[in-house]
Amino acid sequence: MKNEHYIRCHICETVNYDNSITHNCRRCHSKINPSLHASYNRTLALLITAIILYIPANLYPILSTKQFGTNSDSTILGGIIHLWELGSYPVAIIILVASVVVPLLKFLLIIYLLIAAKYKTHSTLLDKHKIFYITESIGPWSMVDVFVVIILSVLIHFSGVQIYPGTGATAFALMVFFTMLSALSFDTRLIINYEKGNNVHAS
Amino acid sequence: MIKEHELDKLIICKKCHTLHEKVKLENKTKAYCSECNVLLYQQDHDMIERTLALVITASISLFVAFNFNIININIQGLEQSLTLSSLFVVILEHEQYVVGLLFLFIIVIFPIGILFATFLLLFLMKVGKAAYLSKRLLILLAHLKPWNMVDIFFISLLVAMVKLFDIANIELGVAFVAFIFTLILDIIITKNLSFHDLWAIHSKIYGQIDEE
Repeated sequence: MKNEHYIRCHICETVNYDNSITHNCRRCHSKINPSLHASYNRTLALLITAIILYIPANLYPILSTKQFGTNSDSTILGGIIHLWELGSYPVAIIILVASVVVPLLKFLLIIYLLIAAKYKTHSTLLDKHKIFYITESIGPWSMVDVFVVIILSVLIHFSGVQIYPGTGATAFALMVFFTMLSALSFDTRLIINYEKGNNVHAS
Repeated sequence: MIKEHELDKLIICKKCHTLHEKVKLENKTKAYCSECNVLLYQQDHDMIERTLALVITASISLFVAFNFNIININIQGLEQSLTLSSLFVVILEHEQYVVGLLFLFIIVIFPIGILFATFLLLFLMKVGKAAYLSKRLLILLAHLKPWNMVDIFFISLLVAMVKLFDIANIELGVAFVAFIFTLILDIIITKNLSFHDLWAIHSKIYGQIDEE
């Protein structure tokens, strides 16, 4: 069956008509038909915020070690390289996936979906829905590195040796927060929009 | 155009957004999406009772996980232990307020909120009272769901332990076991409860009450 005329409420998962007179979900009364244009712009704005935050997250140290008066900082990439050199490959791969691959993949997928909402692309409707589903579910996994830093800073907390989270950790945590918000504000109707012939400008 | 209540017989898959027409299921059977094989809905008569029991167990183990030592480490005689309260003390000491605030919400407030809201919701549905409150709780739960990160915190714990493995003696605390237990229960609960089924049961119990 085609679902061009139906829309799924993202809060209570019920089926609603997709037309101009329906503004609220018929069961939970949450807004389901805000302007597509607003949804598009909000997603884009939050995504840009996240991408900007990703720069200090990589440049500033995520972790600082204070050892008998001497400080040494390590950034995300530096930490991964250090772990790789030490030979703990599984941990290095987990951190690499969680803090480099997942955020970048998420940026690219959301950018792709935003482009696909305006211009014609090769992927089918089904593919785009699946891409959005992946984007939503991989989001929180990038928090791993921040949590690890916090746990280490609690455990290595002696008078001689101390580990504490750096500026990079704050930027990184905020970056994850904003990418999640960005994915949440993306309206799934933007996906079907192009196929229906009226693109974002028309709404 | 068909009538509004006819829409209740339809369901849209959460992954591929294919529209399906619902069929009546036997007890203890499940319906899957024909396109991507995701669970759509299920029929289970004692779902509420079973999940209520699981939620109570999960609350107890989460309480233990939050109040006892998660891991203790020993580096050449120097001892340190990780508890939730020591986490916040250290975060405040290092003046990492933004991370601390995010951490407080993601690890403490949202998981407790989700468990408490689920408990209250299932309890209200069991006794069949307070239709409006349980409706609000269902909406609240849908908003809270993506922000629960206890599972990711646990993976981070394992990564941190591997990092410390060479330099320290690590001793697992009571809360570590409780954490594993909470996670397993959490997975079973989320597998059991789908919002679609909850709403279906909700409208069955309370009827079509419109409070507006």
